[in-house]
Amino acid sequence: MLVLITGGSGSGKSAYAEDYITKLSKDYRKYYIATMQVYDEEGQERVCRHQKMRQGKGFITIEQSTDIHQVADKMEKNTTVENIALLECISNLVANEMFCAGQIRNCALVKKSIIGGIEELLKTIKDFIIVTNNVFEDGITYDETTTNYIRAMGEINQELAKIADKVIEVVVGIPIIVKEGR
Amino acid sequence: MKLVIGGYFQGKLDYVLGGNMLTDFCIVDGELPNAEQLQESKDNGKTVIVNHFHEWMRASIRQGKNAEQEILEFISNAPGCIVISDEIGNGIVPIDSFEREYRERTGRIMVKLAEQADEVVRVICGIGQRIK
Repeated sequence: MLVLITGGSGSGKSAYAEDYITKLSKDYRKYYIATMQVYDEEGQERVCRHQKMRQGKGFITIEQSTDIHQVADKMEKNTTVENIALLECISNLVANEMFCAGQIRNCALVKKSIIGGIEELLKTIKDFIIVTNNVFEDGITYDETTTNYIRAMGEINQELAKIADKVIEVVVGIPIIVKEGR
Repeated sequence: MKLVIGGYFQGKLDYVLGGNMLTDFCIVDGELPNAEQLQESKDNGKTVIVNHFHEWMRASIRQGKNAEQEILEFISNAPGCIVISDEIGNGIVPIDSFEREYRERTGRIMVKLAEQADEVVRVICGIGQRIK
């Protein structure tokens, strides 16, 4: 099962996603796929806040800021216990894939890497909860680079929503079902 | 308490007023009512409406206030009030650190207000969707 969870900044989407997977996780091995690259103190604080939120919930953390398909190699392959995972979040992953080592990769390549990687992971992950970000409604016209980033985010969200069993938007901490069932 | 959210110019205040007389309400804009206004509304059975709550948040953060504590205290004193706020978090994370803080803190306090609210309504095109 693939569940896509979206929302704005400070919408409570992370807390909701963590609750969601925790409710599913009884008999499964539960992974948290962290994608954020830390550049400064603020980033560090953000990571700490999220770590605190996850504490005691039994997550195994995998850090994977690019090349998401590589997560498969870091997961245990004991078939008697199935793996489930929470990936947080697509907006970091897209930024990391797009703006890497002073270079800018084009939208199509980024999309291919992320969608391809996730499709690959879905073969072995029983329940995959993916958090993305609603970056589409601030009415600002950005420069070409940022616009390409937003476009990539939009297209990736659409692709993920297509293959998702459930799409949920979190608004002020309240889940709103956008799609249920394929 | 009732929380009403939505994008700008979606008719949130009109939705809340719902054709009632303006005099049925004590409406404050981008601020919290002072003790006098609060008392006056209590005495006269008026519903307090905090319109443009996000603007109050923005000003409070700018002034270095503990806005979260202040609004929660206010709501415990005015449990029947209506808080109206724009949704401001649905965009690219701003480069400016104040703008980032404003979005984050406003988002998080709204989650908290939504938890406490008896009713949460999201207004789009003037139409209210009751989401809690």
